[in-house]
Amino acid sequence: MNQVVAVTINTFKETIRDRVLAVIVVFALLMIAGGLWLGSISLGEQGRMMKDFGLVALTVFGLIVAVFVAAGLVHKEVEKRTVFILFSKPVSRTAFIAGKFVGLCGTMAVVIAGMGLFLFVLVWIVAGQASGTLLLAVVMIYVQLLAVMAVTILFSTLGSAILAAVLGICVFVAGQLSHNVLALTRLGKNPLTEVLSWVIYVVIPNLSAVDIKAGAVGEQTLAWAQIGLWVAYLLAYLVVALALAAVIFRRKEF
Amino acid sequence: MIRRLFAIIVVMACAAGVVAYQVARPAKAPATPRVFVPSPRFFLDFSPSFRTSIADAYYLQMVQYYGEHAKSDGRLDSLPQMVDLVTRLSPHFARAYLFGAFALIDAGRPDVSYMILQRAFKVDPNDYRYPSYLGFFVYHYGKGKTKDLVAARWYQKAASVPGSPTYLPRLAAALLGKGGETEKAILMWGQVYGAGDKYSRQKAVAGIDRILPADKAARMKAVAPLYGTMPKAEFDALIAELFKGYK
Amino acid sequence: MTLATALSVRGLHKTVHVGFRRRPVEILKGVDLAVEPNDVFGLLGPNGAGKTTTVKVALGLMRASSGSVDLGVPGLSHVGYLPENPYFYDYLSGREFLGFCARLFGLDGDARHERVEQLLRDVGLDDAAATHLHKYSKGMLQRIGIAQALVNDPELLLLDEPMTGLDPVGRVEVKRIIEGLHERGKTVMFNSHILGDVHELCTRIAIMRTGRVVWQGSVDEALAESATLEDFFMKVVTA
Repeated sequence: MNQVVAVTINTFKETIRDRVLAVIVVFALLMIAGGLWLGSISLGEQGRMMKDFGLVALTVFGLIVAVFVAAGLVHKEVEKRTVFILFSKPVSRTAFIAGKFVGLCGTMAVVIAGMGLFLFVLVWIVAGQASGTLLLAVVMIYVQLLAVMAVTILFSTLGSAILAAVLGICVFVAGQLSHNVLALTRLGKNPLTEVLSWVIYVVIPNLSAVDIKAGAVGEQTLAWAQIGLWVAYLLAYLVVALALAAVIFRRKEF
Repeated sequence: MIRRLFAIIVVMACAAGVVAYQVARPAKAPATPRVFVPSPRFFLDFSPSFRTSIADAYYLQMVQYYGEHAKSDGRLDSLPQMVDLVTRLSPHFARAYLFGAFALIDAGRPDVSYMILQRAFKVDPNDYRYPSYLGFFVYHYGKGKTKDLVAARWYQKAASVPGSPTYLPRLAAALLGKGGETEKAILMWGQVYGAGDKYSRQKAVAGIDRILPADKAARMKAVAPLYGTMPKAEFDALIAELFKGYK
Repeated sequence: MTLATALSVRGLHKTVHVGFRRRPVEILKGVDLAVEPNDVFGLLGPNGAGKTTTVKVALGLMRASSGSVDLGVPGLSHVGYLPENPYFYDYLSGREFLGFCARLFGLDGDARHERVEQLLRDVGLDDAAATHLHKYSKGMLQRIGIAQALVNDPELLLLDEPMTGLDPVGRVEVKRIIEGLHERGKTVMFNSHILGDVHELCTRIAIMRTGRVVWQGSVDEALAESATLEDFFMKVVTA
């Protein structure tokens, strides 16, 4: 446990102090604030526009940060040979992967919370429409990004950081279209494509199920039991992804 | 030195070319009355997470499109598709329905406006605005002998929504009377009278008086159905006002 | 702690697969090595001889294709390692980095704090302790590297080119550290191309060439065969 805590703290400090991260977050805040201008041309729907576009900006920039930092976490250690220092000490590969992930979770929590609170305050001040559902939508975006981060870390143990980042983004997009893959399984007449579609459907995380952006603007009735179930599913999913990453990483030589 | 000078000249020439091109371009692209609007089906198959965001983007485009064309060439060819797209992607987006409904009248498509508002009311039966707008549009833009009655029925539906404004029953009653449904109009005015405030009572008395026959007996027969629909004291007060001047 | 051998390598083979076609390349071709407790052991050889690979296999950073490596200490918690040209975490300070290393060994609270401050003083970095590592010079990085190798007070210390990048004062300090460890009964094995340092510090040496140990023995035995260690080294590697 000490090892996981040590790697977690180290990862958090290393990632949160990265200047590139700060630049991206500042840009994201500017985009969120850009909702003010959109609101002014929306004929009185300022609150809705700010919430909706703010949450989209938060998702996009959160995804960029999550994927590119996650992709570089393991790869950077190998490239810069800090793994020599690390694994010459009594640190298991599994503890390393776990600590890296948890540390990044902490960093992402700070980033997402910062952007989310900024959006909340802006909507509250300008449109007076900030509610708890808006904050919950931010939390659900964070949960989605956790799953994407875990998958990206898995990919980073297999190949280069750029490839892992690109695949991480692809998984996010595919995760938003997961229900279409399910529809495909029901359309196929060929048993092989049906099986393949099923496999893809099971493997791709269903991210849209926990997205409640529509609920934040009043378009969705929130079924909490169902959302809770999907959150638990995503958490189990990321455990499996990280376990696979640990298994692959154990076989790596430096 | 010469090489550096040459490089500077090349860069300056490129910069001058870029600025000249930008300045020479028209400040604003000409607005086209026909724009490409994808089918809602395309986006409905897309992620449910981003439907409202896409709807918002097209809503803003719709507002800008209306603003560009309504006062200039007056051509709003793509407006029906835009309103349809936005409201299908975001079925509870009230402003899109309401703005779209009025904009579609300007576009010369009251039929689409009518359909959009009916869809809105089906989705949100607790919003009185949709049936009240429908009543307004039918009354002003509808054709045919039955338009007053159709409008009246929409106003009645609007009036039955909890929290709806008090003028809606008055509108319903007036249109029922105008449409020839005297009995229903009188009953409706009776409800207005039952609201209790001085203004409503004045309006109710005037409204009933307008459609009652002059003959006392016929008049009494016409108001008889009101008995039992309100407290006796109210009924007596109403009758006293309706038969003021009659012996 | 009394050890049979501090490090024992027997018949170690290591093959890696390189390139798109995964062409096998044998890096270690049967390395036999024995480091006795309390040795200051010099592992010498030309570039590409397999010195670093041998150490990596010993530490578990690589897996042996065949053969065995026995660390005479009960696990990595009793080993300290400094890689060649070490690289560390850019945005941690020296103090934070050593604290991280100490935490990995289970040192908590005051014990960790005291150990970190002691190490910073020992390597002469107490003034730069709060500076981020990306601002350290090469010599400072080497010192922090030595400090992290010592954080757990290891029984066995493996150093790869420990003098690299150090100024003369730094080199003297590192030599003193190695001598101090030897006096305390620790075992030190280091790779180095600077034979003067090897002559000064080592009790025993091994010379590797093309993936094998071609000579192993005490420094005195080497000097019995040649006038200088340089001459002996050249004689062995060119034989």
